[in-house]
Amino acid sequence: MKEVLFMTVAVVGVGYTDFRSTTPDVSFKEQMFEAAAKAYQDAGVHPRKDIGSFITGAEDYWEGYSIFDEFVPDQLGATLRPVCTISGDGLQALLTGAMQVKTGLMDVVAVESHSAASDLLSFHGIVSHGLDPVYNRNMNVNPFFVAGLEMRKYLSETKASREQCARVVTKNKLNAMDNPLAAYPAVMSIEEVMKSEMVSNPLTRRDISPLADGAIVMVLASEKKAKELSENPIWLKGMSWISETPWLESRDWSDATYARLSSEKAFKMADITNPQKQLDLVEVDDWFSYKELQHLEAIGVCEKGQAGKLLEQGQFDRDGDTPVNVSGGRLGAGNLLEASSLQSVLECVIQLRGHAGKRQIKGAHTAAAQSWRGVPTATGSMLVLSNEK
Amino acid sequence: MSFDKNTNPLKLHHLVGDMEADYIYTPGVAGDKFFKALRDDEKFLATHCESCNHTYMPPRMYCERCFSKLDKWVEAESTGVVDTYSLAHEDRDGEKLAEPVIVAFIRIDKTDGGIIHQLGGVDHESVKIGMKVKAVLKDKSKRTGGLNDIDHFAPA
Repeated sequence: MKEVLFMTVAVVGVGYTDFRSTTPDVSFKEQMFEAAAKAYQDAGVHPRKDIGSFITGAEDYWEGYSIFDEFVPDQLGATLRPVCTISGDGLQALLTGAMQVKTGLMDVVAVESHSAASDLLSFHGIVSHGLDPVYNRNMNVNPFFVAGLEMRKYLSETKASREQCARVVTKNKLNAMDNPLAAYPAVMSIEEVMKSEMVSNPLTRRDISPLADGAIVMVLASEKKAKELSENPIWLKGMSWISETPWLESRDWSDATYARLSSEKAFKMADITNPQKQLDLVEVDDWFSYKELQHLEAIGVCEKGQAGKLLEQGQFDRDGDTPVNVSGGRLGAGNLLEASSLQSVLECVIQLRGHAGKRQIKGAHTAAAQSWRGVPTATGSMLVLSNEK
Repeated sequence: MSFDKNTNPLKLHHLVGDMEADYIYTPGVAGDKFFKALRDDEKFLATHCESCNHTYMPPRMYCERCFSKLDKWVEAESTGVVDTYSLAHEDRDGEKLAEPVIVAFIRIDKTDGGIIHQLGGVDHESVKIGMKVKAVLKDKSKRTGGLNDIDHFAPA
């Protein structure tokens, strides 16, 4: 029993589509099939005989299907097998898959998450529906006002500048230039971000990550199976996820407490005592520009109020001390809704395998992927990965 | 602009589906008492957890900190402090508003919580974090027993 619980689970296969602003030529099911087929080939497994369980991270409202669970088995090769959908992001689905492997009941588990955002005609309405109907839906404003409120508080508390937030956008879009999967690479000026139209002051259009379509599948395996299947398994060293109160009125507003607590737990599991020194790269959630700075401080890469300055000094650039969102993040690779957290994990896996090409972080050994579920949630996860067990 | 790509699926081959989803929402025992006191007596009621020394605004029937049932009601003030604010330029569908709206989180005095609402009687440029504000209620005949019985918060 103990042996099972304390074994290390590994990622042994990844598959993905590229990320695009629209996908008029393929359905979401065809995207999932493409990602799954590539992941199974990468792992050297066949879904009809080798995979014990299949998990998708998805929300009915994003998908436009009631009981979305019913719409996933066929394109994953999962009919007549254990299948479930986690009503959460892709990283929560992955952590659930890791726990299933740790039960010892299955050696190999497939995890999927995707975005068909371009199929969604009422994006703002669906986000508004996430607000408390009795206390928070009374105002007829873009639900991203919650991010506007939080950004103002963050800037006020930390003395970070508006320009520093804009620099997050330019950095991540520039990073995306070397990620062939990315939907929104650009050489963008800070001025372009600053002068873009105001959505919920101080939040502008370019501070908000643009939506994209795409699918990602990962194959997880037990320690024993991973060594059989793979020459370069990427080990899941530490993981945790936290939900704060859903009440906006009970929140602290200045801290990303979910990110702080989930990373403390995951880092303890992974023996990370100094994240700035021990992590070779970090992918953090950047749904909104300021969120990257807030998350870096919350997970302890730097002190509160320092992220903006360190960003300006180039510490978070690809060639800096702690490269952040080398993939481009949501801002550059595209906002894949629930799948963006798996995009973060994907970047870590590609980097730790040494397969990142032009954007490869030399000697990358340990990486972290942090997620946030977006407005109006205060839910987030942390995963530490390493290419050494 | 060159930075933008087509994200409008209606320009491409498609079928349209409409997911009809209408609901009613129950304010619950705590919400019912809160909204009736606001509508009829112009009072802001909160619940208090004695073991955590924490006062909930909006009121709740349970404490999220110690998980105890709450039945101690206290009267809070109709005043508070702007904790943070934003000037919203778009409506809930993402369309441009004719007039932007100042939205704020107001920490209500004598509680550990607050209310999210709009500010009035003040320019966006003059709003400051820490500014004292007061609830301005709608005329009694126009109240419906919801959060919009507060018309807005104005500088106190």
